[in-house]
Amino acid sequence: MAIGVQVKSSVSSASVLISWVCCAIALLLPFMSVRETRISAEMSVGLPALGFSAFILAIFPLLIVFWSVRKRRWIWHASIISGLIAPLLLLAVHGPQLVSVAGPFARYSPSGGFYLWILGVSSVLFVKPKRTRYDYVSIALAVIVVIFFSIQGNFSQLGIVQEAGNFGTRLTREVGNHLRITLISIGISTLIGLPVALLTYQVPSVRNFVFPLLNILQTIPAIALFGLLIAPLAALSRAFPQLRAIGIQGIGNTPAIIALSIYGIYPILRYSYTAFSEIDPQVIQAARGIGMNRRQLWILARIPLAAPTVLHGIRVALVQTIGNATLAKLIGGGGLGVLVFEGLGQASSDMVLLGMILIILLTVLADAVALMSIRMLTPRAFLITKEENEEQ
Amino acid sequence: MAAHPTIKETHTFIRTEHLSVRYGATEALVDCSLEIPAQRVTVIIGPSGCGKSTTLRCINKLVIPSSGAVLYEDSSLQQVQDTALRRKIGYAIQSVGLMPHMTVEENIALVPRLLGWTRDTQSARVTELLRLVRLDVQSYRKKYPSQLSGGEAQRVGVARALGADPPVLLMDEPFGAVDPLTREQLQDEFIRIQRQLKKTVVFVTHDIDEAIRLADYLVIMKDGAIVQSDTPEQILAQPANSFVEQFLGPDRALKRLSLFTADHFLEEPLTGEHDRAAQALTACDNRCYWQLDETGRPLAGYTYTAEKLIRREIIGEQHTVREWASLKECMATMLNLGFPAITVVDDLGRVMGEVRFETIQRISIA
Repeated sequence: MAIGVQVKSSVSSASVLISWVCCAIALLLPFMSVRETRISAEMSVGLPALGFSAFILAIFPLLIVFWSVRKRRWIWHASIISGLIAPLLLLAVHGPQLVSVAGPFARYSPSGGFYLWILGVSSVLFVKPKRTRYDYVSIALAVIVVIFFSIQGNFSQLGIVQEAGNFGTRLTREVGNHLRITLISIGISTLIGLPVALLTYQVPSVRNFVFPLLNILQTIPAIALFGLLIAPLAALSRAFPQLRAIGIQGIGNTPAIIALSIYGIYPILRYSYTAFSEIDPQVIQAARGIGMNRRQLWILARIPLAAPTVLHGIRVALVQTIGNATLAKLIGGGGLGVLVFEGLGQASSDMVLLGMILIILLTVLADAVALMSIRMLTPRAFLITKEENEEQ
Repeated sequence: MAAHPTIKETHTFIRTEHLSVRYGATEALVDCSLEIPAQRVTVIIGPSGCGKSTTLRCINKLVIPSSGAVLYEDSSLQQVQDTALRRKIGYAIQSVGLMPHMTVEENIALVPRLLGWTRDTQSARVTELLRLVRLDVQSYRKKYPSQLSGGEAQRVGVARALGADPPVLLMDEPFGAVDPLTREQLQDEFIRIQRQLKKTVVFVTHDIDEAIRLADYLVIMKDGAIVQSDTPEQILAQPANSFVEQFLGPDRALKRLSLFTADHFLEEPLTGEHDRAAQALTACDNRCYWQLDETGRPLAGYTYTAEKLIRREIIGEQHTVREWASLKECMATMLNLGFPAITVVDDLGRVMGEVRFETIQRISIA
């Protein structure tokens, strides 16, 4: 009884409803698709075409119904595990079968039905505020299934795997490019944003100038900013050949990095300014009153008090910049935008998809690393208060 | 070293001379001359915006006066720089001002740390101070300010102010943010600690009861100027003007009584067997007669009311007071008993003497 209540309270009924609607619609959509060549028209395959094996998808709703009768925690988690693994099994088994009929260059891809189903099942997993050990077990099992079939070779004719194979080492190079563009931009944004935030904090009149300027810069579309940078950068590199030698020119990575740096300043400056201006003035007064000198006021009071919020600003800028760095390709730069925009040009949806998936993975990973570093650098006192608040 | 004008057996520790502070057009402090007696509690009181906190901040140089000067008469504060001076002056403020990212231990050890004490000395000092403010050393050491109640945080604030054992303590409404019950406990603790340590304390408050309770020397301020400064007894007896009178409240005579203890006003009681009561008292006399048991405890009291002899049984704590009770408490006990005097008893309940209403009357109007 108590267990049932616990599961219920941690999953909102709205997210369960959304989950069911998604899964129901997913059953009506094409589940996967097959193409004879890379750019030929795709042939959709619905669930009925997969035969009786499609019924393994029914385990998920059946277990949920069973759970609603007997509220045991393991039934609930078993349903989620089956919901995640069943579509992977269908894909891994039927994909290679369909491809073998369609010819030597054929490939298969998951379609709307597959994605919507996964979205439906995982919405119950990810929507709730705190995940339990069992949720991680479910995710781990799904990952193990993917790894198992990858080793077996079942996924080698998957569209995005084929695309990744075509790219070969260029893929890792573009991932590296993407990260390099992002990190250099964030570095520049921080080097500009943090000192300006401190200046704004110390000299309040600067605020009337800095924030409107930032707001205007923020509204310029990225592509327009790239265009605006071509002329001055080209002129610069013509005037100073040394600059051209280190890669500064009108097109390429340089204008992309400059534009991304400008966009990154905004969150870093905003968060940092807020961090310092929201320090309780009483704390500073007390710190001065007990005899801290100017240096100690910064090192012992202001910096540790502001650090968590400043770091969160950098994290927001980081996530934003990884996404925006995709656009670098438009001005001739590198990065994962290459996959996305070349894929669009070649009408290869698999290539676009590969680029998107890699960008999302990078973003999620970078965010996790940033969060972990913030937790390590945040004074323990704030973590304790936060945990206490969460418990309440 | 200059003698303090009104408090005997001490000298002037800090003197402010014609101190004025202006913020633009507003005058926070106007020609404020003050002498702080050493090892005594000076309480500065006044309505908000009267300049009491500004005076405090002038003393530890957080505010630089527009004119006038703060003179450090005591040798311990002379010839030091601003930050070094502040480390020699304990400072506790209303919202406590504890560093939220530091543990209780780190907060208390802050000034010793700034002074470069060794870790062991710092740690020993923290233990000593936590004991002094009666917080359990083991359980509070590693707590953070956000985990403390208001009263506990104030105690830590006081402990931090005492960190490097400064000769002076500046306290800016240190008990302002807690409930009345906790505030009274903190005041009791403060009185106890002050008896033990004998610091020179400058205490700012807007609570007149707190001021009268804690002050050896009381300074009343209004609109940036000092209105009256003297011992609380003197101020309650002779308010300088109608503002002070109003500020002290209509019950200032009662408040004044709270400053005196019974042991200084003991008088010889009439005692004996119950059958001698009528003989000892006369109808026109405003006196009491006490019947005692063989150990000297009061059993009953006799007095004439409207020319009739009245007998009342004496019930322990309800009708007697101890020697350290204030005259205000004596007064209340008299009203409980309905007699013109009450007996003062020792720890075994034996009569030491009596306090009479006429004495209280004389004291209250001074």
